[in-house]
Amino acid sequence: MSMHTSLRRTAATITNSTTTILPTRLPTQSSSTTFICSQCRHATLLRRPKRPYTFTQLITLSDGSTFTHRTTSPAPIYRSTRDTRNSLLWNPSSSKLMNVEEDEAGRLAAFRARFGRSYDASAPVADEETAKDPAAAKKAEADAKAQAKEDQEEEDNLLDLISAFGQNEAPPPPEKKPFKPSGKK
Amino acid sequence: MAAREPSRYLARALPRTSVPSIRPQGFLSRRNVSDEAPARRLSDHLTELESASSLSTTVPESAAASFDPLARAAARKNQLPRGRYQFRSPKYNRGPLHPHQPPPPSHPSSRLFVPGPFSAPRAEQTFDSTVSPDIMTLCYVHTPPGFKPPPKSARLREWDDSSPYHKNRVLRGPRGGDVLRLLRKPIKFNNIPEIERITIHSYVKNAAAERNSSWLHVAGIAVQAISNVRVETFKSKSNVAPWGIAAGRDSVAVKAELYGENMHHFFGKLVDVVLPRIKDWEGVKGSSGDSSGNITFGLIPENVALFPELEINYDMYPPKMIPGCHITLHTTAKTDKDARLLLSAMGIPFYGKIVN
Repeated sequence: MSMHTSLRRTAATITNSTTTILPTRLPTQSSSTTFICSQCRHATLLRRPKRPYTFTQLITLSDGSTFTHRTTSPAPIYRSTRDTRNSLLWNPSSSKLMNVEEDEAGRLAAFRARFGRSYDASAPVADEETAKDPAAAKKAEADAKAQAKEDQEEEDNLLDLISAFGQNEAPPPPEKKPFKPSGKK
Repeated sequence: MAAREPSRYLARALPRTSVPSIRPQGFLSRRNVSDEAPARRLSDHLTELESASSLSTTVPESAAASFDPLARAAARKNQLPRGRYQFRSPKYNRGPLHPHQPPPPSHPSSRLFVPGPFSAPRAEQTFDSTVSPDIMTLCYVHTPPGFKPPPKSARLREWDDSSPYHKNRVLRGPRGGDVLRLLRKPIKFNNIPEIERITIHSYVKNAAAERNSSWLHVAGIAVQAISNVRVETFKSKSNVAPWGIAAGRDSVAVKAELYGENMHHFFGKLVDVVLPRIKDWEGVKGSSGDSSGNITFGLIPENVALFPELEINYDMYPPKMIPGCHITLHTTAKTDKDARLLLSAMGIPFYGKIVN
């Protein structure tokens, strides 16, 4: 056993290490793992780590902000034309960076009013329709009123719901009443 | 312990006067002739002392005026010889039992010592000041005092003892696969996920094709230029017949491992300068990641050429030999979700279906 362990050093599973000379570093592995480290007797060269030479470079972003970093590039200043400050991916809400269509004559809007889908044709559609004929305008007005009424009703219902939240246990019958019209809708 | 206790020789060794006497001093009214003697002798000794003190000596004016060590050092033509004893680390590690041991790599005299860090990278400062408190706040889960989480079942299951062969068998793996995922602990102030290291890896498929190693050299130098780190080369593990690559024979890949200062400089450069310049880049794919907090994405050769270090002397690199690379961001997060939270806070966009 002693010869066996001196040849191949089983670090963790040795329980009867009486005769072997082990290095002072104690095994820290858990007892279930077994690894065999074949002993190497030769000397290993300690190589000095090689590190490329680095310069300090000042990076100027497109909005004028600067920061320094270490780099292998020997240029002292780097001016970037395209970076996080002016690319759309990093500034999704910036209208300046979005390519907004120029529609001065209103032709694109007119096309969209005619053939566009509902989300395309929101505000300008109603204006144009009302300009065409009064009947449509009236209808639209009525629609808008109905819509507003409905919205108001819904909001009331929601408010009732909120106000009635905690009081359900104590006086249930009077608080329930406002809920009824919501069912009619 | 033994040293703390008074030695039995101590009382004998000390002079008689300093040993506390058993008899109380206050009641002692008897005077002896010998009591007078020490006082007289003490006065004699005092008269024998020299009256002149070294503190009262005066320095001549000329000596004080000529004492200027800085000017002397500046006026010196040759350097002074170095100190006589300088420790030199042994060149070879001769094993743990050898009497001449190399110092630890953190010691300045070690041959493996790497000095630094010398700068505070911007990405690191951003993380410390902004990102880490945000992540801690976002990941905060409030539990009322006295809350005890419900006990979880063990991840490794016991065998039901239906068979006598179940005795001493190793435990069964988790249900639905043998992979034991990393345990995600609740994120507190001391385990906020951070970027641990960055690996830049490049497999050069032409490395063996034309029987010249220039592809690998160019790839290695390009990766070193963008990463500030000397690269390692790797031999192929598998045969690839169309590219003429044989396992174990051809060096086909270069890899740079970035830690600490280099890593943060590279990350800042990547996010602020390089990624925005990539044409039609949507971001890192949302399904990327190894489900233990490491996110990988790739750059094609045209994107690698956008790094300012390659741009500054673009002519040095043969254009067709500039490599593409895979960049792996290793984080200390235990899940990809946390890693994505960290990286998107640090400025890396993700697109598509986010798979956690």
